[in-house]
Amino acid sequence: MSQNLLEVHNIKKYFPIKKKLFSKKKEFIKAVDGISFTVKKGETLSIVGESGCGKSTTGRVLMKLLEATEGKIVFEGNDITGLSDDEIRPLRKEFQMVFQDPYASLNPRLTVKEIIEEPLIVHNIDKAKRADRVVELLEVVGLNKYHANRYPHEFSGGQRQRIGIARALAVNPKLIIADEPVSALDVSIQSQILNLLKDLQEKYDLTYIFIAHDLSVVEHISDRVAVMYLGRLVELTTRDELFATPLHPYTKALLSAVPVPDPTVKRNRIILKGDIPSPAAPPSGCTFHTRCPFAQDRCREQIPEFREIEKEHFVACHFAEELGS
Amino acid sequence: MDQPVLKVNNLQTYFTSDAGVVKAVDGVSFEVSKGETLGIVGESGSGKSVTSLSIMRLLKDTPGRIADGEILYEGRDLVKISENDMRKIRGNDIAMIFQEPMTSLNPVFKIGRQLEEAIILHLKFSKKEARERSIEMLTSVGISRPEKIVHEFPHQLSGGMRQRVMIAMAMACNPKVLIADEPTTALDVTIQAQILDLMRNLTKTTDTAILLITHDLGVVAEMCDRVVVMYGGRAVEESDVLSIFANPKHPYTQGLLASIPKIGERLDRLQSIPGNVPIPSRMPEGCKFAPRCPHAMDICWEKEPEYKEVITNHSVRCWLHEEVPQDESELVGSTQH
Ligand SMILES: Nc1ncnc2c1ncn2[C@@H]1O[C@H](COP(=O)(O)OP(=O)(O)O)[C@@H](O)[C@H]1O
Ligand SMILES: Nc1ncnc2c1ncn2[C@@H]1O[C@H](COP(=O)(O)OP(=O)(O)O)[C@@H](O)[C@H]1O
Ligand code: SF4
Ligand code: SF4
Ligand SMILES: [Mg+2]
Ligand SMILES: [Mg+2]
Repeated sequence: MSQNLLEVHNIKKYFPIKKKLFSKKKEFIKAVDGISFTVKKGETLSIVGESGCGKSTTGRVLMKLLEATEGKIVFEGNDITGLSDDEIRPLRKEFQMVFQDPYASLNPRLTVKEIIEEPLIVHNIDKAKRADRVVELLEVVGLNKYHANRYPHEFSGGQRQRIGIARALAVNPKLIIADEPVSALDVSIQSQILNLLKDLQEKYDLTYIFIAHDLSVVEHISDRVAVMYLGRLVELTTRDELFATPLHPYTKALLSAVPVPDPTVKRNRIILKGDIPSPAAPPSGCTFHTRCPFAQDRCREQIPEFREIEKEHFVACHFAEELGS
Repeated sequence: MDQPVLKVNNLQTYFTSDAGVVKAVDGVSFEVSKGETLGIVGESGSGKSVTSLSIMRLLKDTPGRIADGEILYEGRDLVKISENDMRKIRGNDIAMIFQEPMTSLNPVFKIGRQLEEAIILHLKFSKKEARERSIEMLTSVGISRPEKIVHEFPHQLSGGMRQRVMIAMAMACNPKVLIADEPTTALDVTIQAQILDLMRNLTKTTDTAILLITHDLGVVAEMCDRVVVMYGGRAVEESDVLSIFANPKHPYTQGLLASIPKIGERLDRLQSIPGNVPIPSRMPEGCKFAPRCPHAMDICWEKEPEYKEVITNHSVRCWLHEEVPQDESELVGSTQH
């Protein structure tokens, strides 16, 4: 039986919109608007969705880089939602993050050694051990000790992402939140990093939350997949289920929109109309109703519940049963 | 087959700086005919954008210059014509759209004004005709309330809408060639599907030749009739889209096709191309792909292979294919996909 490493209960993150003079109403960007899921120990849970749907905000709330507006986060059975900075510090090393942009996320003025050492210093590892650890980490991610005294700009995008991964691994975390870690990389390099992430997971028994917008990458790396739209989860199930029998109309459209690298395949594509609405003024009811080919009156009025339709298959659509078959 | 509208012969575009000369494009040849979509695919820095900027002669504000080669548009060499003549061709005969629409939209003018000015400049329409043509173009790119959009500024539109406006602007003058440089790379996948669908329909009705630059092999498979693969500033392979995917001959093309994760295909490990994307200032001698190539031989490190048509309509730059007396399938195992 796999146990839950992380439980997320109804997390919300609202950003206040700068108030106009004299306006009475407080307005918010509902970046994350009530999402719940669990992450099992050792698995890769992917969160997929289009830009602005709240994936990064979710990641930052889980990392406690942002305070949740509402909701509860349980890590290894302990509620960590309201912990003070002091209480959270020892837990910080259990969670690490890898970012999309290997160019922006590494301090250009530090050497690779200093970058990887940083979390070790924060967690009071002594100096002699640190040096060995840096070399070990470099080798683990496919670099070597000769890279230690160089600066980020001397590396290619893929190598920089390796440095970011080494830094995340430094303090032996249990959970790594990887926010679009391969989105900025060329295809031939993407696959190197995906393979590396898989190897590391096996070697160190890591749990991943993998944030992405590319479904073909997600299918490759995930055990389970959560699909997000405008701050809410619309579908969550195992990788196999999601790709074989997606139930939510948005998931279906998303899957159908991915260009297939095979010129012999002719697809009957679902093309959604319109744009993604702004999270500052999300549509009423089911927020997907403005683009959903199956929307009905009820969808405009009532928010669909995120419910378990089949075992391990959660969907937020009033008509999931009818539309699924 | 139609006469090609645009033909590029051994294009070489170099950037000069204190650090020396960077050969960003160094041997690119291809042609594109009426109604045809030619894909140019390659990783970042392979010289795709510099190729398109060279064709448009938009390198003026950069340290780049065309060092050699021909760019033949309806028989005229664009490398040699005057800036004045080029200005007439740009926008009129050959139009370009970019990854970032704000490259071609002016932030301080309303959409309508920008469209109308382009139309008046190129088609010599009256103000009223230009307004009508603008609305017509906006409608044709799937904008539902064009009368409203003409009064908006670019920043008031979403990324997808801006891209539509840019396409409308590019297509307004019925160009013979449309160069689209990563037109959907910055867009979300459901919006990308809309834009690709739009481009497909537009070209069906206008017979425009398209040069579609992309790094996405999925987009290539869905949109292109033929494909040029670029690596390190060179064209390394060209063929029709079916052959490129079914029977890639260059080891780089094979590696690229094998590295893409494909929906429905579950591999424990993805294949990848070892090493890094080459840096133009540090190009190896000989074949530029040699440091990453699983088939590299001695000669590959010494001498650059020529770009040769090895079977009809299939060109490759690789020593494995320099002499082709043997059965081609024995040379390189074809990649499954
Ligand atoms: N610090 C912030 N202040 C205000 N709005 C924010 C902030 N961070 C993100 N947002 C908004 O929240 C929404 C979700 O953003 P994000 O989580 O980055 O989405 P994703 O990662 O899925 O692209 C977006 O509309 C974004 O503009
Ligand atoms: N404005 C410029 N100044 C100097 N070098 C440039 C400039 N633009 C491009 N280059 C060089 O040309 C190479 C190819 O660039 P580019 O055509 O933009 O690649 P791609 O579009 O295939 O990603 C770059 O690696 C860079 O070295
Ligand atoms: S609830 Fe209605 S609008 Fe929402 S996805 Fe289901 S059918 Fe579409
Ligand atoms: S020429 Fe040699 S190194 Fe270059 S691609 Fe062909 S076999 Fe590989
Ligand atoms: Mg993000
Ligand atoms: Mg480019």
